[in-house]
Amino acid sequence: AVCSMAVAEKSTKERLLCALDNLEVLARELIEMLALSRGQKLPQPGEDTQVLELLVQRDRDFQDLMEVAQQQGKVHQEMQLLEKEVEKRDSDIQQLQKQLKEAEHILATAVYQAKEKLKSIDKARKGSISSEEIIKYAHRISASNAVCAPLNWVPGDPRRPYPTDLEMRSGMLGHMANLPTNGVNGHLPGDALAAGRLPDVLTPQYPWQSADVSVGMLPPHHGNDFGLEPPGHNKENEDDVEAMSTDSSSSSSDSD
Amino acid sequence: MGLELAEEQARNRFQSELEFVQCLANPNYLNFLAQRGFLREKPFVNYLKYLLYWKEPEYAKFLKYPHCLHMLELLQYEHFRKELVNAQCAKFIDEQQLLHWQHYSRKRTRLQQALAEQQQPQQQPPPHGNATAK
Repeated sequence: AVCSMAVAEKSTKERLLCALDNLEVLARELIEMLALSRGQKLPQPGEDTQVLELLVQRDRDFQDLMEVAQQQGKVHQEMQLLEKEVEKRDSDIQQLQKQLKEAEHILATAVYQAKEKLKSIDKARKGSISSEEIIKYAHRISASNAVCAPLNWVPGDPRRPYPTDLEMRSGMLGHMANLPTNGVNGHLPGDALAAGRLPDVLTPQYPWQSADVSVGMLPPHHGNDFGLEPPGHNKENEDDVEAMSTDSSSSSSDSD
Repeated sequence: MGLELAEEQARNRFQSELEFVQCLANPNYLNFLAQRGFLREKPFVNYLKYLLYWKEPEYAKFLKYPHCLHMLELLQYEHFRKELVNAQCAKFIDEQQLLHWQHYSRKRTRLQQALAEQQQPQQQPPPHGNATAK
């Protein structure tokens, strides 16, 4: 009937209760024995002292356990305080985390927008052209009615926003292909103007075949990228105008 | 000596490409090319792609007929090249191009008319819309 205190797994509460039970049992035994001893002699002489001793011992154990319980209570309280502290610190950390994340987000946005701005600055810089050049160019394409029809244009007017047959033939490409000597318009290669077939309105002030090319202005290199065979390049020269013969042996202007 | 020749060749190439790219502004010419099958040939298509360099400002400033750049862009698409075989398609493009070409002068004429009306409100009732604008 004794709770073994050597069992470490048992909680203090259990042990206390166990001890109390023991005390109760022993106390009852003692009282029974005392009640019996009123009437008769004890069956076993030393039993009451034994029980008393056990009782006293159990009481001592009980008191010890109570102290242990008290200590544990204190420790438990401390633990709770510490836990509260930990909670507080935890929430502090979480708050800081949130703020850090926000700050990071704001900075990332700012950096991104700054980068975008830099990109567009770069782009603008690349595309920057002097206003004088733009005005010059605007004048050039407007005055020649290349992009805006002349105000007195009516259907029947030969002017167009693109090079007409005559203009095409009077250009370098037109001359490169072998023109039949009895060409449709009767003009010989290289002499379109002299043949007088070009109306004045078509002799452009700003010739569309601009010849004032500075030495540095060269078309990008293309080598023979277009096709596998040279005839592919010849075709670009021969496909000029309907009137020309298709067996033109125009020299390739490819300089490599 | 060799350098001069190379320079002249480069100049010739520049000029011929300048002329050719502007010819592309002419829808009738495009129809001509399409009907003869040039627009189906891979080397020609590659050449059209190469010609896109005329879009750069340092080259574009030589173009007298800027419409050609738009045509050049359209020509990059196979569908457009296929459609150009159709004479009706080319005619439609030509018509629209001319109308667009006349857009600014029409606008200007209308503006002038509106100004004239404003300055003389007591005069006869305003003339009808775009009678002179075509």
